[in-house]
Amino acid sequence: MISAILIFLGLALVFGLLLGYAAVRFKVEGNPMADQIDNILPQTQCGQCGFPGCRPYAEALANGDSEVNLCVPGGHEVMIQISEITNREPKEMEEVPEVAEGKIVAVIDEDTCIGCVHCIKACPVDAIVGATKLMHTVIESECTGCEKCVPVCPVDCITMIPVEPTLQNWSWAEPDPTANTRPLIEKFS
Amino acid sequence: MKTGFFKFLAKIYPMAKRRLYRFSGGVFPRYNKSLSKQHPIHKSFIPNELILPLHQHVGVETEPKVQVGDKVLKNQCLAESKKGLSAPVHAPTSGEIVAIENRTLPHPSGLTGLCIVLKPDFKDEAIDNILKTDGKTPSDPKALKELVYRAGIVGMGGAGFPTFAKIPDEKGKIHTLLVNGAECEPFITCDDILMQTHPKDIIHGAIIVAEALGCERIICGIEDNKPEAIESMQAAVAELDHPNLVEIQPVPTVYPMGGQKQLTQQLTGIEVPAHAHAVDIGLLMMNVATFAAIFHAVRHGKPLTSRYVTVSGLGLNHPFNIEALIGTSFEDLVELAEPKTKLNYPLVQGGPMMGFEMPNNHVPVIKTTNCILANPPKPAEMVMPCIRCGECMDACPVNLLPQQLYWHARSHEFDKAEKLNLFDCIECGCCSFVCPSHIPLVQYYRFAKGEVKKNKQETLATQRAKERHEAKLAREERIKQEREAKLKAKKEAVKRKAANEAEQEASTPAPEQKAPSSAAAAARAAAARKKAAQSSDATTTESTATSEDEKQPGAPLSAREKAIAAARKRAEAATEKSEPQAATNPAMSARGKAMAAAKKRAQAAAKKSENTESESETAKDTSSHTAEVDSPELDAKTRARLAAQKRAQEMAAKRQMQADQTEISAQEENTAKVEEAPVVDKRQAAMEAAKKRAAARKKPLPDNTETSGSDS
Ligand code: SF4
Ligand code: SF4
Ligand code: SF4
Ligand code: SF4
Repeated sequence: MISAILIFLGLALVFGLLLGYAAVRFKVEGNPMADQIDNILPQTQCGQCGFPGCRPYAEALANGDSEVNLCVPGGHEVMIQISEITNREPKEMEEVPEVAEGKIVAVIDEDTCIGCVHCIKACPVDAIVGATKLMHTVIESECTGCEKCVPVCPVDCITMIPVEPTLQNWSWAEPDPTANTRPLIEKFS
Repeated sequence: MKTGFFKFLAKIYPMAKRRLYRFSGGVFPRYNKSLSKQHPIHKSFIPNELILPLHQHVGVETEPKVQVGDKVLKNQCLAESKKGLSAPVHAPTSGEIVAIENRTLPHPSGLTGLCIVLKPDFKDEAIDNILKTDGKTPSDPKALKELVYRAGIVGMGGAGFPTFAKIPDEKGKIHTLLVNGAECEPFITCDDILMQTHPKDIIHGAIIVAEALGCERIICGIEDNKPEAIESMQAAVAELDHPNLVEIQPVPTVYPMGGQKQLTQQLTGIEVPAHAHAVDIGLLMMNVATFAAIFHAVRHGKPLTSRYVTVSGLGLNHPFNIEALIGTSFEDLVELAEPKTKLNYPLVQGGPMMGFEMPNNHVPVIKTTNCILANPPKPAEMVMPCIRCGECMDACPVNLLPQQLYWHARSHEFDKAEKLNLFDCIECGCCSFVCPSHIPLVQYYRFAKGEVKKNKQETLATQRAKERHEAKLAREERIKQEREAKLKAKKEAVKRKAANEAEQEASTPAPEQKAPSSAAAAARAAAARKKAAQSSDATTTESTATSEDEKQPGAPLSAREKAIAAARKRAEAATEKSEPQAATNPAMSARGKAMAAAKKRAQAAAKKSENTESESETAKDTSSHTAEVDSPELDAKTRARLAAQKRAQEMAAKRQMQADQTEISAQEENTAKVEEAPVVDKRQAAMEAAKKRAAARKKPLPDNTETSGSDS
């Protein structure tokens, strides 16, 4: 009886020490939850969440001082993921204005651009190149479609356009599970 | 013995046929091959218009080398690209380029792509041996690859992968060359016809490749439902010098026997690993038509401009095979076959198992088009829920679990589908074919594959966006810190100088004349940097001003102006000053006063710094941030901001001066105070004059702000 108690006490002590050591030795720096959230945010850096970018929103979420449903580009899916990570109730997305399906990118009308460089400063991912009083242009592959450059342009020469599908990025649409099929070959012949 | 038993068993249990070959699964559709085979090969046909897409292969689009209006000859190269994996496009006949424009491509997406439109002149004038070959077999793989590239040959079985990219660079890497003559899709007979009519082209093409690559063996697999093809190929082999080199091997008829991995396994017994290519294990397989094209390129220097196409289907009266020019439209070919009813249904490119319905019937034959199918649409089948019968699993030639893949794809669990080797699916359609619930399984896999690829790209893009955003934030932070450090240093300098000056004024009251001037000089130095040009005029006599101005050869006009202004200012100062200051310091010259003015400016600047200075700093720094993108912007911006600031200061000074002047007249007799007030007044006057001058000078010479500032 006594020996059993002693053995378990000893075991408890040993594991307690081990756990204590591990907690010190393998301490995680920073806020892992913020990193985790940051990784699932779309990184559009559009600021529609009310924060200056995705990272600040992730940090605010990790600290618990923000709602889970603020990221508009992320939509419902990201909201669900966030609420899973933060262990909070999912909250319906607020009514968002109708956004075009698929990726959109900014395009500068190069004839109208006066080269005021406002858009360069507004772009969160440095996707605009140009020089003072010279034409500016958007690097399409780097544009996240955040629309931050649109309001700052004094001559309104930036428009957001959907990315056209090309042979390279085209992919098959999802089949409609309720629709009938029309096989090209008769079966069981 | 074993074969015989299973053949017998198949009569009562058809699936026993699955025991007759080496891979698992497979299906046995109704082949309908006799439809197109029973008619003779259609005579060659030149349509009224050839549409040549620039993108007929896997890889990057080619770039046109011709212009609208150019007359071209047959075999002439029309487009190529040096930018990556691609295959040049050649003119299939002679004629005129009438357009280079977007046309619908024979692709399930229905997308348009740039096409060269050729209007044939029906003379069919050709450039012979355009590839400039000597007809000899290339001795090493590199020479062969180069020739195959220039001939624009791509995999003609349907994949469209540029053939040159499939050929390894070193000799001896490939020990066995495989010739794919299986042609397992129902309806299609073009390879069969090619093997019957041009067996020598195929065999010699294979021998050319085998010699160039140093292969020891050539095995040609032909499905046993094509006895004529097997016979003619065997006859061609028997005529060779070394008939032992080539082996014609009949293989069982099963769909998808023509799949690369399936035929490889059947012919060699080797199952190609999931993530490897046949080339990695010393095997190279090409379609019979590809070998024939290689033969023509090497022996006759003829690029790929035509191919055998099967035009078949239940909706045609006279299905046939034809050596069609690349670019002939589907519609034209089908019209030749006399459709039973008007063509109001979509044509299919490829066979019924793997083919696609075309979005538009006016699409061209491209290098990969092996069959055009005109089957009137069948009644739609109702899709029922999966009953987990397992038929699909038994039919899958790659041993996948189609049913599981289907569930995962349908519920968007793409990671799980990927774990079940979704990407090994060859989209053969066997599973959809056998599914009793009519579930379009392959379409789910295609969708899932697309989504997985898209997600991967999105993850990459997100990652990049994050990095770029962080880089931008870091840069902004750095610039902010630098700016703050600069600002702090400046403020301290100004403070220190002000303190110095106060000290000196206090400690040496007697030699008043010198002390303020030296203190002012120090203050001026600080102020000079900001106020630039004007301090130089304000603090110098006319002679010094001119001498200084002479140092700036670019500004003779402004020098004169300065001189005039300085003189005027001196006169003003003298008249105004004489009364109150005569008693205390009659010797004080205009120069001393001006220095005092400069001093005051420095103090004012220090006081004002919260607003104006920080603002100008922001201006500078934001512009220096953008200067990382481009430098000319800096000057323009700073200049504009500085000018605006100066104008504002000038206005403020004017207003203050008016107020001061009225005050002064009242206070003139009050000697105790007077000593300071007029000085202030005069300082203001001097300052204003100086600013005006600076502004005036700025106009003709906006670039001098920096240099003249440092000059003083
Ligand atoms: S709303 Fe915009 S900035 Fe905010 S988390 Fe979403 S993508 Fe990032
Ligand atoms: S904001 Fe508008 S005008 Fe200014 S540089 Fe950008 S695109 Fe040109
Ligand atoms: S389509 Fe894919 S899953 Fe279906 S049978 Fe063919 S290889 Fe297997
Ligand atoms: S064949 Fe069709 S019904 Fe049968 S298990 Fe596969 S998907 Fe389900």
